[in-house]
Amino acid sequence: MFDTKSAENGDIQLIGRLDASQTEKANVVLNQIMTSRTLDCKDLEYISSAGLGVLLATQQRLKAAGHGLRLTNLNKHIRDIFMFTGFEKIFTID
Amino acid sequence: MERRFSRSIHALGEIFEFADEYSIAHGIRPPVLFAMKFVIEELFTNMVKYSVSDTGSDIGIDLEKDDHRVTVRLIDSGVDAFDVTRADDADVTLSLEDRKVGGLGLHLVKRMVDSIEYEYGGRKSVITFSKKLE
Repeated sequence: MFDTKSAENGDIQLIGRLDASQTEKANVVLNQIMTSRTLDCKDLEYISSAGLGVLLATQQRLKAAGHGLRLTNLNKHIRDIFMFTGFEKIFTID
Repeated sequence: MERRFSRSIHALGEIFEFADEYSIAHGIRPPVLFAMKFVIEELFTNMVKYSVSDTGSDIGIDLEKDDHRVTVRLIDSGVDAFDVTRADDADVTLSLEDRKVGGLGLHLVKRMVDSIEYEYGGRKSVITFSKKLE
């Protein structure tokens, strides 16, 4: 299952498994972001290509308006996926 | 061990449970399990999205481990052929503006497995992939 939580500092925490059956849930939250924002991925266990698509669409929309997503605390598996897809170059990753 | 799953992305939860249970029972470590689940999801959702089954039958997933590797087979019946191993690689050097949503799944699959084969006969697609144990 996938979930999100808003932190006190304004970051959005992504939690659980962002697979193809959870993209609608992710879209509901990410479509509300209108300015630059940090997504804390400390508790994001897994992402598939469907989840990458949600992040990509959000980043394209925000960048077109002069903003962008920053991703923090990616686990090693997800970092590998970002590397294989060149996503590490199109997001700010800490 | 083979189990069958309904032709729906909402079966993913059950599929991941199946992979988790099998991995615990057979001592498969998290990095291998992560890759296994990732590749199963990409291949399964590909079948759900693009293959129309004459029979509407469920999709079979078979897991098998030996001393060196875990081997996974996905079996889809009553469908036209679609050789996933021949899918073009995505261009991962494109800029953000030039990227399209989609097309990364099979690109990633090829990088996360140690072998992948596609067989087709009698209107049945079988994809077999393996991942070495770490």
